[in-house]
Amino acid sequence: MFLNHFEYFAPKTPAETLELLGRLGSKAKILAGGTDLMVVMKAKAISPEYLIDINGVEEFKGISCEQGKGAVIGTNTKLAEVQFSKAIQAKYPALAYSAGEVGSSQVRHMASLGGNSCNASPAAETPTPLVAMGAKVVLSSLSGDRELPLEEFILGVRKLNLAENEILTKFIIPEPTQKSACRYAYMGRRDAMEIDCVNMAVNIELENDGETVKNVKLVMGSVYPRPLVSKEVPTLLHGQKLSDELIEKVAEAAQGEAKPIDDIRASAEYRREIVKVLARRLLIEAYAAAKGV
Amino acid sequence: MKQLIELDINNRVYEVAVDARDLLLDVIRKKVGLTGTKKGCGEGDCGACTVLIDGKPELACIKLAIACQGKKITTIEGLVQEGGALHPLQQAFVDHGAVQCGFCTPGMILSSKALLDRNPKPTQYDIKHELSGNICRCTGYKRIIEAVKAAAEVWSKEGVK
Repeated sequence: MFLNHFEYFAPKTPAETLELLGRLGSKAKILAGGTDLMVVMKAKAISPEYLIDINGVEEFKGISCEQGKGAVIGTNTKLAEVQFSKAIQAKYPALAYSAGEVGSSQVRHMASLGGNSCNASPAAETPTPLVAMGAKVVLSSLSGDRELPLEEFILGVRKLNLAENEILTKFIIPEPTQKSACRYAYMGRRDAMEIDCVNMAVNIELENDGETVKNVKLVMGSVYPRPLVSKEVPTLLHGQKLSDELIEKVAEAAQGEAKPIDDIRASAEYRREIVKVLARRLLIEAYAAAKGV
Repeated sequence: MKQLIELDINNRVYEVAVDARDLLLDVIRKKVGLTGTKKGCGEGDCGACTVLIDGKPELACIKLAIACQGKKITTIEGLVQEGGALHPLQQAFVDHGAVQCGFCTPGMILSSKALLDRNPKPTQYDIKHELSGNICRCTGYKRIIEAVKAAAEVWSKEGVK
């Protein structure tokens, strides 16, 4: 299992990176953690002529998470850093949890948050809670930066809204509002080195009374070519107080929207069942957390 | 085209000629000659090739050697103590019968070291979660977990470098 021959670049600054990307375009691949890229290159699924290793660019790394200011996470921040960051654990527990469930310890120390989105696998862990929390991505090129909600960035299996001279440089996550909570859950055959058969995140914001739902976002992973944001769930829950009956109705609505496929990990039928299970579980958890109980 | 790079492995600097596409695992085993690091699946799934890079566990089979310049790489050979004694983790693996065929052992020990460096008092769940990327086909996980627990006790009593 040899890799193809390629030319290797290790820029030290964002400017150098953007210049290389502008010049090499689609012939180049960006190397961050390599936990996906190296594997597909070994399998000869792709054979890029150039690799741009961004691990030497300090500006692409790090977490800035101040009280009241949301968070900004560099694209090449390792998943283990996200997992163990006290600030992320406190403010965005769903994100820290999902990052800690990717691959194995080794994979999390190599793989980056940006890579987990840019790989555009429908079963990816972190995009699901990031979309639920309303995260935006910053895409940079020589001609400047543009911001995009993450849900408009991932278009399908291995498909991104990214020009060939652009690179994802950071994630911007909004500050959680008062009386809100986001929770994440997944189902897979085993815990480690497993690709989820379904994952899901629910973000609930309550009115000042602490009971009525003001906003809700339910996002499903691995049941659609990209993170699937439920349209029906907010309609059903808006202005309502959560009851057992309503939870059942909402979970069924999410189930109806999921479009899973049969594959080696699970059948579509099983996945649809699991959507209901996870939706029920997460609605209860997130609602309770938002109420502060 | 080969180029000359320096790799700091176990506190010794090796000068090696590599291609950009050469993987760290192959360079460590074939060019440097340290064969304690094992090649299992070659796809980053099994953990046999685990080495520490700047103290963090990484998979040498999907890591470019050329990307490791200026980093401190630790392989299983680097755990040797003064006078050639075994590292407490290695000793614990021996004492608890945590080694069967031994192929997964170097990776298991390095992953455990990374865990104990970060969290000297891990729970059973912590150990299982952090070692879940190291696969043992002899299926001797119980003793491996016991060995890590025992090593953690030595760790917190004596302190280990």
